[in-house]
Amino acid sequence: MKLSSVRPIALLISKELVIAAFLLLGVSFVIFIILFLSPGDPFSTMLKGQMLSGAAKAGAREALGISQAWYSQYLSWLANMLHGDFGTSTRTGLPVLGEVIRVGINTLYLTVASMLLTLLLAVPIAIFSARRGMTFFNWTSTIFTYVVSALPIFWLGYIVIYISMHQFGFFPLAFGSSSQKFDWLNFMLPVFVLGIGNGTISEVVRYLREEMERVFSEDYIRTAHAKGASIWKHSFKEGFLIPITETIATKIPFILGGAVVVEQVFNWPGMGRMAWQAAQDRDYPLIMGITLLAAIIVRLGSLIQRVVHIMVNPRASQE
Amino acid sequence: MKRYSQHSIEIGDFSGVPFWKKAAVMDLMYVSYGIFIVILVIGSYILGAFDLLPYDPHEINLDLLMAPPESTGHLLGTDFMGRDILSRLIIGIQAYFLPGLLAIAIAIIFGTCFGVLAGYWGSGFDTIVTYINNLLNSFPRLVLILLMVAAFKPDIYYIMVIVGITNVPVVASLIKGKIQFLKQKYFIEAATALGLNNRVIIFKHILWHNCRSLLIIQATLGMAEAILMETSLSYLGFGVQEPTPSWGNMVQAGANYFMQGKFWPSTAPALAILFTIMGFHLLGDGLNNILERKQGK
Amino acid sequence: MKRLPSVLLLIFFFVFIMMAPQAGAEPKTDGKPDGGALNYGEYGRPTTLDPITSNDMISMRITELIFNGLVGINEKQEIVPELAERWEMSEDGKFYTFYLRQDVTWHPKEEEEPVPFTAEDVIFTYNIMMHPKTITSMKVRYEFIESVIKMDDFTVQFTLKRPILNALAKFSFKVIPQHGPANQEFLSREDPFAQKPIGTGPYMLKNITADREVILVANENYFKGRPHINKFAARPFADQNIMSQALLFNAIDMIVLVNHRDIPQIQGDKRYVLQPYNALSYSFFGYNMRNPLLADKRVRKAFTYAVNRQEMLDSFFQGQGTIISGPFAPGSWAYNLDVQPLPFDPQKAIELLNEAGFVKGDDGIMVKDGQKLSLTLKVPIAKESEAVKRVVLAFKNYLNKIGVDIEGEFKEWLSWKEDVFLNHEFDIIFASWVFDDSADISSLFHSAEIGSWKNNFGAYSNPEIDSLIVESKLTLDHEKRRTINRKLHAIIADESPYTFLWTLTNYAAFNKKLRRVAIHPYKFFSFADDWFIPTSEQR
Repeated sequence: MKLSSVRPIALLISKELVIAAFLLLGVSFVIFIILFLSPGDPFSTMLKGQMLSGAAKAGAREALGISQAWYSQYLSWLANMLHGDFGTSTRTGLPVLGEVIRVGINTLYLTVASMLLTLLLAVPIAIFSARRGMTFFNWTSTIFTYVVSALPIFWLGYIVIYISMHQFGFFPLAFGSSSQKFDWLNFMLPVFVLGIGNGTISEVVRYLREEMERVFSEDYIRTAHAKGASIWKHSFKEGFLIPITETIATKIPFILGGAVVVEQVFNWPGMGRMAWQAAQDRDYPLIMGITLLAAIIVRLGSLIQRVVHIMVNPRASQE
Repeated sequence: MKRYSQHSIEIGDFSGVPFWKKAAVMDLMYVSYGIFIVILVIGSYILGAFDLLPYDPHEINLDLLMAPPESTGHLLGTDFMGRDILSRLIIGIQAYFLPGLLAIAIAIIFGTCFGVLAGYWGSGFDTIVTYINNLLNSFPRLVLILLMVAAFKPDIYYIMVIVGITNVPVVASLIKGKIQFLKQKYFIEAATALGLNNRVIIFKHILWHNCRSLLIIQATLGMAEAILMETSLSYLGFGVQEPTPSWGNMVQAGANYFMQGKFWPSTAPALAILFTIMGFHLLGDGLNNILERKQGK
Repeated sequence: MKRLPSVLLLIFFFVFIMMAPQAGAEPKTDGKPDGGALNYGEYGRPTTLDPITSNDMISMRITELIFNGLVGINEKQEIVPELAERWEMSEDGKFYTFYLRQDVTWHPKEEEEPVPFTAEDVIFTYNIMMHPKTITSMKVRYEFIESVIKMDDFTVQFTLKRPILNALAKFSFKVIPQHGPANQEFLSREDPFAQKPIGTGPYMLKNITADREVILVANENYFKGRPHINKFAARPFADQNIMSQALLFNAIDMIVLVNHRDIPQIQGDKRYVLQPYNALSYSFFGYNMRNPLLADKRVRKAFTYAVNRQEMLDSFFQGQGTIISGPFAPGSWAYNLDVQPLPFDPQKAIELLNEAGFVKGDDGIMVKDGQKLSLTLKVPIAKESEAVKRVVLAFKNYLNKIGVDIEGEFKEWLSWKEDVFLNHEFDIIFASWVFDDSADISSLFHSAEIGSWKNNFGAYSNPEIDSLIVESKLTLDHEKRRTINRKLHAIIADESPYTFLWTLTNYAAFNKKLRRVAIHPYKFFSFADDWFIPTSEQR
């Protein structure tokens, strides 16, 4: 990077931050609309609770009644959230923000680990396919990824647990107080299921392979190859780093979605399991908090990917 | 995110050689497999409508709970209420058809609108559409569905609306990308120079000739997505409810006995899902490859 | 030689330790070993750990381990002293005086001395329970108490509004400490006490782990003697199948309520014990008498004849249950054993429908005055509910065979409740009642209980039943009450406002290493302090 391009990079990054902030605002609005249109009228309960506690904390005068106009409801709700007050769960009475973050961390472990696993499997397949075309190995592994992507993910989980129990005599129970041998395996099984199931891996393979094929056939790579230089070095940034980070960023929502099911099956104490419970109980503050946090995670991933893109290739990212 | 390579069909270039002679064997296999799946779906309706199913899929038989396959005349055995699994499997696909169509329709209609707006007129529209796309992409589908289930009710049609909406960005960016590509090739300038008005250009030349395969592929993928989503939701208890059979709720009902070693009630529908979805994906891949080959690489 | 001083020091040290006074109560004198841990699985998580606002079974089981009441109930269903060592009842039955034990202390916080339990705590508990801002279902149960006063540090006296039969049993409500909740006036779920409870019971809360496993450790100072098992851990599961497998693979030691479909698998395994316990609950199909088609008693009875309850019980629940004929749980003293359940007789059902004026139409559905016998059945789905689905589908099937068309609708719990208890928009429902006071059916069938959110959802109204119910409530003679209830049972069985189905036998499954496991039918862990694990099998 030349010095003259540093300032524009900073500019680009700050532009991305602003965009991300706007998107999160939009996210909150979408969530608000859904809840607002709900016949269960979740807002009066949520807002009353929030406003009462806010007023009580400030020791100020009586909390005013809640006006019916949707925009004022939205604004006061948003203001509360920016102060960190996401309301309290109608089921347990615990503050939503703390609870969601607590389980969100567990889900994050699962998400990141399974993403790594997916990449670990998909990248080699994509590279081999791109370089050597459709060999038998490539074809079978591609078909394999298609198969596991097309299975219902909870069924895949059941199969994995069954095999683990009956073939290896091992029952996967993460975070258990009862100790067992191979504790680390407790973690690997849900990661494995989430990594290869859920339709993620086939798409990742397909996408990576295409991108790599495209890059490899680009002229500048061909000339480098003709010149005898290693094509890896030249293609790394565009053919490798960018597609992978882009994949990660776009697949995060899918993995979070898959986590909802996997966490049920493996009893993993994460955001997904809590989301299901909240939907059951119609625990509006909680499900809203989880949706919001999920969207924030997705945006964060996207932001990081954009930053990487900028750092690598400032001009190309400005398409 | 670009998913498929794009090539244009030049106006007036209709190569006389039929495409099946040009395509590679593999791709033909993929496509025919996919078409086979589609035929199965149609077949299911026909069988159901004309009462040609082996057994009544709703007939309860309490003497014959969880019978294994090949016993007592039931080819695939019976489920937890003694109902024939094969018959339920055959009509199980119907539960997906209409809701899936809803999801696809929403995705394609809105996606195309947004894509055209962004690609054709660009600038301001482009920014707005990109914003909306990124917005819709921010939500994990299942979490958003859970939010909606909490706010409204677990109706499969409401759920498919969400699935459709969250698929809009994919279609939109594909269309937009295609249009930008066509622009690059001065395709659109040429058309305008020829005196065609906007509407004709958009509908006939861009969408119909250039984008239709893309849209068909998206439609098949959308259906596959709808099936998988319903399956996960059935596990969580929010999918299609009894007594309507859907593959998803059949897998879920069978999975209750999986750990006890009774595999078949859940395996049969799971395999059905597997082959159908693979069919759709391979169809998409095959079609895509064929179109590429058509232009040569 | 050089080691002698240190050895002496060591000996002196040990002697000193052994001579130090034992703090608190002695260990149990039944000679059974202490030690070991019990991990038990629950399908779902507790909502709160305080005994006052909790209203789900999982929370109540945990609070049973942490708290005590003034009196308790033993295995023979008799009232025994718990926090109160003795009591007196006045002649007119309006004053109850409890003399409290003086050796009870609250669970100590870290590094702190245990605080003694006094009368103040009892009064505090009563006040906070009845405070209008405390959301609890217990208020209704204790409305008969007028007031409570402290006689001295260890004596309290309750004044009742009117004498109540069997009032003593009601004083088993859990007592919470005055120094527990942060808010001294009313209790809400946000109070830290709900997550960090302090009680007097055999187990105290140690911590809640990352995945909501509740860890309880033995209370060394428990006034009935230190419980044998060192540690109880309540583990929540999101998937029932996985939970059952966890038991079979020793990841957990006990399941509180085994799903019926897993019973054969566990039964066959010699390492585990399946212990039945009868909950006071039953399942039924309830009818909406507001619908003129269902207002006719013959129609409802026909439905009961049309349903083969024994077949359903055998096929779906391995026959583990009792078919009931009336509105009481079969384990209850009020149940009238002379009233037999109606037999399965579809022919008789059709005859009854014909009698009521229905004729089979061309499409096989019964018709009367041009109106088809086509009804909606609404069923709540709370969680994974294969058993519910089976019963509902079978019911549909049986009724179809006699020419009744049933449209089943599985609805989400809260919207179902609205349809049934608020809007009364339904024809039939499938549900269960769970009782604690096994004989009070007044809220179910008395005509005054018809209305929004009241339990007589079907609008059943019968003056004879009304007067019998009132009589039963007012009488103080147990035998008389029993007779009245038996009569109630007979009449209601004939009237069939519900098609009564069955009481299922609940099964708990646990590892054989657990000994002397007595299970309370409703509260489950009441006798847990006596359970033990032989030393060789402790982990």
